[in-house]
Amino acid sequence: MSKLFFDHLIVFDEVEIIIKKTASSKEEKEELWSLVDEYVNHKVIEKILDRLPKENHEEFLELFHKCPHDEIVIFGYLNEKTGKNIEEELKNELEIISKDLLKEIKSFNN
Amino acid sequence: MAHDPPNTNYKINREKVDTEFVRNKLKLKSLEAKRSLFEKYPHVKKFLSEKGLDLGKIREHSARVITAGALAGTLLFAPPILAKNAPTVTNIVKNLADLGETNSDVPKQQTLLSSLQQILPQKVGPLERTQEKTLEQVFSQTTGVDAKATLEGEHLNTTYGYIGAEQHLARYPGDKVPDMAPGLGAWGYVPADEEKWYVVVQTLYLPDWEKRLPYLVNWYKYRKVLVVNTLNGNAVVGDIADSGPAAWTGKQFGGSPEVMDTLGGPRYKKGPVIIFFVDDPENKVPLGPVDYNKVEALGVKMIQA
Repeated sequence: MSKLFFDHLIVFDEVEIIIKKTASSKEEKEELWSLVDEYVNHKVIEKILDRLPKENHEEFLELFHKCPHDEIVIFGYLNEKTGKNIEEELKNELEIISKDLLKEIKSFNN
Repeated sequence: MAHDPPNTNYKINREKVDTEFVRNKLKLKSLEAKRSLFEKYPHVKKFLSEKGLDLGKIREHSARVITAGALAGTLLFAPPILAKNAPTVTNIVKNLADLGETNSDVPKQQTLLSSLQQILPQKVGPLERTQEKTLEQVFSQTTGVDAKATLEGEHLNTTYGYIGAEQHLARYPGDKVPDMAPGLGAWGYVPADEEKWYVVVQTLYLPDWEKRLPYLVNWYKYRKVLVVNTLNGNAVVGDIADSGPAAWTGKQFGGSPEVMDTLGGPRYKKGPVIIFFVDDPENKVPLGPVDYNKVEALGVKMIQA
C-alpha cells in the first residue's frame, strides 16, 4: 500500500472525475495523478510547517521520513507540539486546496 | 492550397487541448507549490536532498517503508494480532478442517465471514503475512478457489483495501457502451471476457515497478485475482486490466461494473475487499462470480458512495 498520513483528509472526487474524463491513455492518467500528488504533498508540508514551531521542523521531517503513512504517530506529534487539532485544520486547508485546483483546471471551459 | 481555419483545428483537437491544458495547469500549480515551500523553508529542501527524497515520489518511499514493516513483523517479531489471538487462529483452522470433513449445516459464507471477523484488523490496511496465510486457507476451504497473497514472489502493496467503481474499458476500436472510460486499459483494448470481469490494482505504486517493468508488465497482464467483499462474503474472480486508482482517492482497487455488482449490488460504489492472486497454472478457474453459497448476505450494511 502506498499511503501518506493525510490521505484520509483528501476529498478530490471532482478532480478525479476530470482527470478520468481528460486523460486518453494510462500514461497520461498516471502523469496527471502524479502532478496532483506532487502539488498536494508540497502544500501539505508547507501548511504543517506554518503551524509548527521552527525548533520542531527537523524532528517532524525525520518522523515523516520514518513513517510517512502513520497518521496516529504523526498527528499525535503535531497536535502535541502545536497544542492545536492539526488534523482538523489540515482538513480545512485541503478543502481550500481542492477548490483552488478545481477552479484552475476547469477554467478552460469557462 | 486551402488551409483549415485555426478554429477548425481547435475544435478537432479539443480533447487533446483539454488534456494539455489540464497537464500544464497542474504542472504550474505543482511548481508554484514547490517553489513556495522551498523559499519559505530552505531547510526542507536540504533535508529532502540529504535523504534522497522527492515529495513528488514520496509514495514510493512510503510503499517501501510499509512493505519493510510487514516483513519485519513476520520475520522478526510475533505478529501482534495473531500472537494475541493464537487460540483463535487455531480455532479458525480447526473449524475449516471440520467444514471439509463433515456436511456442516453452517453455510460456507457464514464460516467465511466469521473467520474474516476474527482475522482482519479493525482498520483497512496492509496485513501481516501470517494473517494472509490464514486467509488463504479460509478462502480455499470456503470458496474452493486456490488464491495466494504472494504468488511467484509477487505481492501487491496491500491485499486488504477499498475497491471503487470503474467504467467499462474499450474492447475494440470504435467500441461504444454506456459508462465507458475515455482511455484504454493498461494493455490496450481488452478482450470481451476479460473486460467484463476486470479489476484495477495500483501497479504504478509498486516499489520495484520501474526497475522490473518488462517482467512485471507481463506478469500482471490479465492476472486472475480473487476479490472478496469482507462485509458480506461475496466473491468474484476477476483479471487485472488496468492500473490505479490514484492513491489520493483513498481507494486501492477498482472493479468493472459487473465486478462491483457481484460484490455488492447495482448501487455498490465503494467498500473494503481482500484481493489475492488466483493460483491457476492450468487456467481452469473461470472468471466471474464465485457462487460458493447461495445464502443471502447476512444483513450487513453495504457502503454506498
